[in-house]
Amino acid sequence: METAAIQTHGLTRRFGALTAVEDVTLSVAPGQFFGFLGPNGAGKSTTIKMLTGLLEPSAGTIEILGQPFGASALELKRQIGVVPEGMALMGRLTAPEYLRFVGRMYGLDGATTNRRTDELLDFMQLSNESRKLVVDFSHGMQKKLAMAAAVIHGPKVLFLDEPFEGVDAIAAGMLKAMLTGMINRGATIFLTTHVLEIVERLCSHVAIISKGRLVANGSLEELRAGVASTLPGTEQEQRLTLEEIFLSIVGADGSQEPAQELTWLA
Amino acid sequence: MAGIDSAAINGIARAGGLFGAAARAQYTAMAQLRWSIFSHSLRSSKGALELGARTVANLLYAALGLAIGLGAGAGSYLIASNNAWEYVPIVFWAMCFLWQMVPIMLASFQEQFDLGILLRFPVLFGSYFLLYVVSGLVDISTILGGLCSLGILVGVTLARPGLFGWTLLGLALFAAFNILLVRAIFAWIDRWLAQRRTREILGAIFMVMILSVQLLNPALHQRRHGGRNGQPVPRQSVEQQTEELKARYAPWLHTANQVQSWLPPGLAARALRQAATGNQPGEQSGNGAVPALGSLIVLGIYTLAAGGALAARLRSEYRGENLGQAPSRKKVGRRESGWLPNAAGPIAGVIEKELRSLLRTMPVLYALGMPVVLVFFFAAMFHSRTSSHDFHPQMQIALPIGVAYALLGFTQLFYNNLGAEGAGIQLYFLSPTPIRSVMLAKNLFHSVLFLFDAAVAGVIVSFRIGVPTTEVIAATAAWLLFALPSNLAVGNIFSITMPYRVNPGRMARQRGSQANALLSLLVQLGILGTGVAVFLLCTLAQALWPAVPIFMALAAGAVFAWLRALGNIDAMANQRRDSLMATLMKMG
Repeated sequence: METAAIQTHGLTRRFGALTAVEDVTLSVAPGQFFGFLGPNGAGKSTTIKMLTGLLEPSAGTIEILGQPFGASALELKRQIGVVPEGMALMGRLTAPEYLRFVGRMYGLDGATTNRRTDELLDFMQLSNESRKLVVDFSHGMQKKLAMAAAVIHGPKVLFLDEPFEGVDAIAAGMLKAMLTGMINRGATIFLTTHVLEIVERLCSHVAIISKGRLVANGSLEELRAGVASTLPGTEQEQRLTLEEIFLSIVGADGSQEPAQELTWLA
Repeated sequence: MAGIDSAAINGIARAGGLFGAAARAQYTAMAQLRWSIFSHSLRSSKGALELGARTVANLLYAALGLAIGLGAGAGSYLIASNNAWEYVPIVFWAMCFLWQMVPIMLASFQEQFDLGILLRFPVLFGSYFLLYVVSGLVDISTILGGLCSLGILVGVTLARPGLFGWTLLGLALFAAFNILLVRAIFAWIDRWLAQRRTREILGAIFMVMILSVQLLNPALHQRRHGGRNGQPVPRQSVEQQTEELKARYAPWLHTANQVQSWLPPGLAARALRQAATGNQPGEQSGNGAVPALGSLIVLGIYTLAAGGALAARLRSEYRGENLGQAPSRKKVGRRESGWLPNAAGPIAGVIEKELRSLLRTMPVLYALGMPVVLVFFFAAMFHSRTSSHDFHPQMQIALPIGVAYALLGFTQLFYNNLGAEGAGIQLYFLSPTPIRSVMLAKNLFHSVLFLFDAAVAGVIVSFRIGVPTTEVIAATAAWLLFALPSNLAVGNIFSITMPYRVNPGRMARQRGSQANALLSLLVQLGILGTGVAVFLLCTLAQALWPAVPIFMALAAGAVFAWLRALGNIDAMANQRRDSLMATLMKMG
């Protein structure tokens, strides 16, 4: 049996009395583009933080590329790239300086770091801003730089927390092409986003988390079939979009319906 | 069609003006916000510790303020009762210096609330300005300045009850000027630091200033030490020379006195003196009222100008200017010039990153350079007490004092060495580089910076006062070997356990940590106290050389503690990574 790229067992995180993530068990195969969805506050970012070593799980285990993973698994971190929620940027550096710094932190030699820095800046269309400090970048430019930093060391597993937020359509297209290329070359990508169209277009597998618990997990077809089976009429299966699947699963408690109309709004 | 009715929104804000119902509701909301932030901070043990530290710090500041106030009061009483009004400018200039310098020196130690969050709401510009000024009334410099003003008022009134009104009026205007000026300076410096070009200009001015002060040193040294060979001259000659210098520079001093009398501290002092001369016992009252009033009017114009400078800056912010989007230079070349060696490895990477960040961070450069400048002035004061050829034994302590003072400038860098990382802290946890390597790189970089500062301080002291004996140099160096690793060891632990976010591009609106500041001060005092005790004991025993092995033994312990702390730093950081990231990345 092939070793999973990402494997969790009973992953749980508590903050005092609040259980943000509870008993999440999932498996992501190598080469899979995995979409991790959920409404606001469902536990997506908490899960991705635990998977990347930014947060200690309260319970459960994580394996990346078949090895136990934790904050001290330094060698394993070389295989992982991350665009975290806060982007991990350093505002007082320029983009080339930051990428070279990240390259060194991941143990790349100087020549490789410099070459990849130039290539990534060109690819991300940031070469024209090479003297500008990161703190002066727009949000979209910062996202592109964070993406460049996440891949500079050629990771086998890439974790992306809302990578398309604030990125313009042209850049988003480029990023999608880059990610698809990585998948074709055998990398594994774990993506969280609120843009369901992107997940629908790119991801082969999807998991949905709600109120800290995993409520759906499988290929898009499996999810579509699962939801369609609960709806009247078999033809529904062909027409269901990911948004409909998502709302059907997450909105099962009826919370997608507003409690009352805000009549005072214009 | 539903649209945005901006007129209606503005109308809500304008209803009743600056103190209308809408504005008052906003002030109340602001006060409630501050209270909520404060009460929520007490939910965690860190918040409670912070409150305790803040209480202790405020008690210390209050004690300091009372001491300054009593001093100012006693001085004013003596001046007023002896009619020695020519000394009043000194009091006002000292107060002005205190008012303007304390906020810069304590910028990282006091919490300042960023009122920029108000700008998303329909707040009147007047309300924004008012809140900005009022929020400055509770900072340390205003409290110290206020107590100082109160002392002067009491002192003058006790000596000359008839001057109460004039003193009150003059002090009130002078206080308003200082409050507005310090806020304007901070607001404008933040603006300049936000732009690359002005940041570079400010940096250049700062470096020129530092170099100028250093270059003054040998020039004055040569002047003080006599002939071309720099041979000491007899005491009598020095006294004669001093008289000659006084005579030579008398016109300059006269001009300087004339100029200062037209500047705000001089005007406040002049108004008081003019009122006093027209209010002599037995004289007809009111003779000095007109000139005193004139001086106060000019002081009022200065106050308005300071307020105008502040208002101009705040109005730009109010109109939606975003400091983060200040224009910067367009692309010139793909890569920055490679003036730094492109050494491989994470330690070299962190050192290069620290150096680049430091060179773009004026406030930190200022914090590091200022102690050296002050060492120069202190050395001058030391020197003026005696002639150069009389190198008294007690002056041997000038070197360790100068070096120890230079050490104080590094408190924030040593004890909160992750504070400026912001979201970049995540990278340290994501990358395969251990936190130990990151801390080691930071420690190495900060040590080199400090040793450079200490060397400059040592050279200044040697030039201004004289080269200390070999024993003093050896003892000071040995103390440094103890002090530096001690600071680094405790600093690394504090940086993980009590971090606070620092915005490196800003001097104002920082969110400091009283707990970190107070405890780091106590550690610094402990390290300095140990040094003083050993120096003192050895001096009493009339043999300084035993200080060297004592400090070396302490240094061995300190190095061991530093290595131990460094060894445990990964476990400590991983254990606290959640709160560390939350603190360093938090918004607002």
